[in-house]
Amino acid sequence: MSQKMKQSPLSPRLSIYKWRLTMFASIAHRASGVFLVFTIPALFWLLLSMAHGKITYAYGLHWLQGSFGTFVLWLTCVALFYHMVNGIRFLLLDIGKTDSREAMKLSAKIVVFSTIAFALLLAIKI
Amino acid sequence: MSEKVKLEIYRYNPESDDKPYMQSFEVPVEKSGMKLLDALNYIKWHIDGSLTYRRSCGEGVCGSDGLNINGVNGLGCITAIEGLKPPIKVRPLPNMPVTRDLVVDMNHFFDQYKQIKPWLQSNTPKPEHERLQSPVERAELDGSYECILCGCCTTSCPSWWWNGDKFLGPAALLQANRWLKDSRDDAAGERLDMLEDSFKLYRCHQIMNCMEACPKELNPTKAINDIKRALVKRKV
Repeated sequence: MSQKMKQSPLSPRLSIYKWRLTMFASIAHRASGVFLVFTIPALFWLLLSMAHGKITYAYGLHWLQGSFGTFVLWLTCVALFYHMVNGIRFLLLDIGKTDSREAMKLSAKIVVFSTIAFALLLAIKI
Repeated sequence: MSEKVKLEIYRYNPESDDKPYMQSFEVPVEKSGMKLLDALNYIKWHIDGSLTYRRSCGEGVCGSDGLNINGVNGLGCITAIEGLKPPIKVRPLPNMPVTRDLVVDMNHFFDQYKQIKPWLQSNTPKPEHERLQSPVERAELDGSYECILCGCCTTSCPSWWWNGDKFLGPAALLQANRWLKDSRDDAAGERLDMLEDSFKLYRCHQIMNCMEACPKELNPTKAINDIKRALVKRKV
């Protein structure tokens, strides 16, 4: 019995906690940041390669115009937009603005829904 | 016959269970405005006397019955059954060692509270009567002193789930800010020295679950940002 008492189970956490929009906004900020760390250098490398060789230019253009290349570009633009807008939200909080309970919830809504609108608009345009 | 509501409750008895499980109960809704704690009491008194949970004041003051209710932390005694989607899933506060059923071991939580030295530290001689504050100075403590240390905020924080051994968590930090703001306290420098740590304070990533979970509608995220700004201010 004492052995069992020592091994108290840990109560469930992420698997049961209900996602709130503010929680999503923060975790999406980390996720978009990590995603951009990899994709921005990769896209710059692609651009540099295309700028310095006719063959790589043709290859690069072909890839960018393909469905996967278009999707990666779209996703990078959306991640960049989200990270920038939510970054401004965090900067405002850092200087003590928009830090009431209501403003924190409202700003999360504005950031998430403006990103959805941007993502849809971009998907239509490209 | 009165309407019934279904509850699914986390059960674990260290003496007989190898692992926790969820158990279903049906409870009659006896009155309008019935609270979740009333339903737990009904189960304990009429269905299964072995159901274990903490409770005391029954009106949101003592902070004993912090629970995870349908995935969000809150107090059982002030959470109305009416607003909850059935079956109502009741679990202990997240990321805590379970002692039995809905009772968790709060020792680590209170140890973290102790770390912020939650008492007045003054260099001035002890006055004959109380240490006075102006109404403006007293108002600085609004939004902090109301905390009842129920643990709903700290146990809702993913940063605390992953780094709870080092990150102090929203409740302790809200209280740290309360003492930093107290005009009678002279230990702000030492308090800030203790807090200036990449884990103790800066693990807060503004997830804001604490603010959403607080049953007293306080804002620990804002308190943490206030401490961060106080740390910056003393360097410039």
